Amino acid sequence: MTLRGKASVYVGAALLRLILFLAFPGLPDLLTGRVEISTPVTSFKRLQEGLFLYTNNVSPYDGGVYHQAPLLLPLFSLLPSVKAWPIFTHLLYILVDVLSADALYKIAHSGEAGSSKLFTSPRRAKKWSGVAIAAAFLFNPYTIATCIGRSTGVFTTCAILHAISKAIYGSPFKAMVALSFASYLSMYPILLLPPVVLLAYDRQLEKRRVASGLQFAGTNVLVVVGCVAVLLGMSFVITGNSWEFLARTYGIQFTLSDLTPNVGLWWYFFIEMFDSFRAFFLGVFWLHLAAYPAALCFRLRPQPLAVLTIILGTFSIFKPYPSLADASLFLSMIPLFRHIFPLMRYSFVTTSTLLYATFLGPAFYHLWIYAGSGNANFFYAITLVWSLGQSLLVSDLTFALLRDEWEIERPDMIGKEIRQI
Amino acid sequence: MASGSASPSAPAQAAPAADVSSASSSPKLPPPETQSDVRRRSHIVWSFWLVIVLLGLPIWWKTTTIYRANLPLEGMLEWAEGKACRPVFPLQISIQADSLQENEAQNLVRLTQHALDDHNDFSGHHLRLQLAPKRDSSSDAVLDDNVALTIQLTPGETNAASLNPHSAVLDIVYPPNAIPGPSSSSSALATYIAKELQSTFSEEQSTISYLLSTSSAPDARPQNLSPEAAEILSKRTTRSLRYAPTYHLTFSLFTAGAIPNSWDIETAIDEYMKPMLHMLGPIHNFTIDTQVQLYATPGTQSQVLSKADLASFINAAEWPLSPSIGGAPTVNFVIYIGDQNIGLTSESKTSESETSQSWMIPQWGTIYLLSLPDTTTHISSEKLRQAMLTFNGHLLSLLATALPSISIPRSVADGVASTMDHLQQACGSLGGPEGLYHARIAEEEAERAFFEKSMVGQLYFPDEHKIAVYLPLLGPVGVPLIMGLINELKNWIKRRRQRAKEAGEKKSQ
Repeated sequence: MTLRGKASVYVGAALLRLILFLAFPGLPDLLTGRVEISTPVTSFKRLQEGLFLYTNNVSPYDGGVYHQAPLLLPLFSLLPSVKAWPIFTHLLYILVDVLSADALYKIAHSGEAGSSKLFTSPRRAKKWSGVAIAAAFLFNPYTIATCIGRSTGVFTTCAILHAISKAIYGSPFKAMVALSFASYLSMYPILLLPPVVLLAYDRQLEKRRVASGLQFAGTNVLVVVGCVAVLLGMSFVITGNSWEFLARTYGIQFTLSDLTPNVGLWWYFFIEMFDSFRAFFLGVFWLHLAAYPAALCFRLRPQPLAVLTIILGTFSIFKPYPSLADASLFLSMIPLFRHIFPLMRYSFVTTSTLLYATFLGPAFYHLWIYAGSGNANFFYAITLVWSLGQSLLVSDLTFALLRDEWEIERPDMIGKEIRQI
Repeated sequence: MASGSASPSAPAQAAPAADVSSASSSPKLPPPETQSDVRRRSHIVWSFWLVIVLLGLPIWWKTTTIYRANLPLEGMLEWAEGKACRPVFPLQISIQADSLQENEAQNLVRLTQHALDDHNDFSGHHLRLQLAPKRDSSSDAVLDDNVALTIQLTPGETNAASLNPHSAVLDIVYPPNAIPGPSSSSSALATYIAKELQSTFSEEQSTISYLLSTSSAPDARPQNLSPEAAEILSKRTTRSLRYAPTYHLTFSLFTAGAIPNSWDIETAIDEYMKPMLHMLGPIHNFTIDTQVQLYATPGTQSQVLSKADLASFINAAEWPLSPSIGGAPTVNFVIYIGDQNIGLTSESKTSESETSQSWMIPQWGTIYLLSLPDTTTHISSEKLRQAMLTFNGHLLSLLATALPSISIPRSVADGVASTMDHLQQACGSLGGPEGLYHARIAEEEAERAFFEKSMVGQLYFPDEHKIAVYLPLLGPVGVPLIMGLINELKNWIKRRRQRAKEAGEKKSQ
């Protein structure tokens, strides 16, 4: 695609967002209040509360409402007040979205999805252009809603996409720095470290090649540890020399002490959970999340980008406070694998399940919270459907990836129906 | 659960190179697995199991073992069986006999004490007599706080006794010849005083023995409680509220029309209720709120309220009388301004606690009907006086202040040391405000210990119920993991055998 095509997509997406921001002044606050978009750890409303406390020299965590990373506060306090000059905040969010799209464009442009260093798909010729994939991200309603709702999850999304794109383009250091930022902001992206390291290892530039995998991994892990340590140190200084923020940001994610409903599976489960088993099941849920990366890295070693996509999918289902931001990140990675779409078996079911949940979710939430004619089970049922749709997508994608690999081994089976025994 | 439904996908999909049958009808044997595939699969299986063993098991161990502190079980059992404390309520009775000789008075006191002890068969309630120091004519005797009753002996014509209505003084008049000599061993006057004392304290004694009969202290059981007395006492306890350290008092003014719409409740409470609330201070804390509701329609519209109407007078649907604000139980005091009155049947006339204007709802509160001229817009505290005094009396019977601590050790399966400590102290000073104070703390501590989070969890969870907690989630997740492990181990054993066989063959060659 031409450079002009890319620019027009970016400008178009930015304009669309700007128009939505300006033409519907009530829309940002409406979307900010939606539980599907704002979770306790990404809510813009809570950020403002933290910001108010911060600018008045009170610890931002004193209110018990703000659970986000401390370094977001100086960033937002540099902007003019969102009440008086909302446009600057809007522009920041639009910029972050465009930056994410640009990283995604680069990832698509590299062709990593179809042919990595260790694996070349026979179907790789069939793919969408980078511009199309960036457009699919930018014009995805979930992405737009997340941007208008000003969820701070977009910063994490941006950092993750940049980590992937830098790893592909042979700059492991930058990739690690970006991943450190993502992990610092939301904690869970640290689980992406193994596949990102593998990806960076595969795509090293010839002139700076480190042959030993262990040495390469060790260096990169050290970079991440160093980066995160620096970020935490800065946070420590910002929050008045106290480590309180650790418990209030990451601790909240570990212990799920804020049970505000969201589109994930945790909140209802832990509302119902017997207190004496709460700690145990928190451990189970976190281990469940943490058990995937290693196994997926072994299984899909030749395709690290596929591993990343699948893990992002499991995050979007199983992390403690998922939102549309996570779903939009996962969904924006899927078009990279255009070449295996013909191998996917449940595309229709998946699509309709996700759409069904998208439309019924807000309706059921309304019935529960506002109309009072439903109860929590209504909304939870819909989040189950939403998670079901996503897990169908994850497993279908995994199946297609594996079948694609397998058909190289068994060319005689191409196009035939198979069954796992 | 949903997490289980997706989790098997990874390990299940992880064996793609396994046997595959083609769609055609003739089954074709798949090619053998390559060495690298086998190795990769074991890596995957072990990566899951490493997480489970290295992280999962320690977490399971750490989060589900319930820490068990050592408890002073023996001491607790002693309390539970009532052996640790013999509830004794000694009451100091002071005898003021200014007209008697010192030694004569001493003997009279001794004889009266004997007479009392002979008649008293209940150890929990004990009257202890003492001789008051002679009063100076110039200064009035300062009543000792510990003295429950003072007997004033004055010489007169015949034996007569009268209870002073304003202070705890029993006036006894005796004929001059009734004084026993310093050495005599029996006296009519002593017997008379003992009898008077017993009748004065009989109600209190039966109350205490009733309360103790519900406790488990074996030697303090009452012997001589008549069924009628027991019934009255049980009625009294059933309408009282369960003991709580804090009560919330809600004073509500409901009016049938638009006026009156203001009242001097604050002054009225300060003036008429506060003294009594202050007195109850060592036992309960009180929080108070007030409300005014205009155009309030009662649950029954009839002009004259019969006894059946009283039960449905409260308009539960419309009157904002919340059951409980915060943790403390609420006692409601409702003043209703309207022209209704209570039809006094012969039945209700005999009931001592109900006047013609008010009635008490057990464990709930009191309603007071106040009729005022139609034009009254403001109710002064003076007009609230009668209502407040009624409330006072009803509050006392609703609270039924007595020995909240005694029943606690019986049922409590756990006790903290401070409970025991405070119980000990409470037992040492039974009858005084200090005892009540300690009993209150002990009650709170015991409740807290009893409802300790981890212990309640344990209480509700017999071991077999844990299966129901673990299985729904861990079952679906665990099955593929365990099957994978078993397959892995099987293959490993097979490979070892194969290798051993090959080695053996090589050797034999």
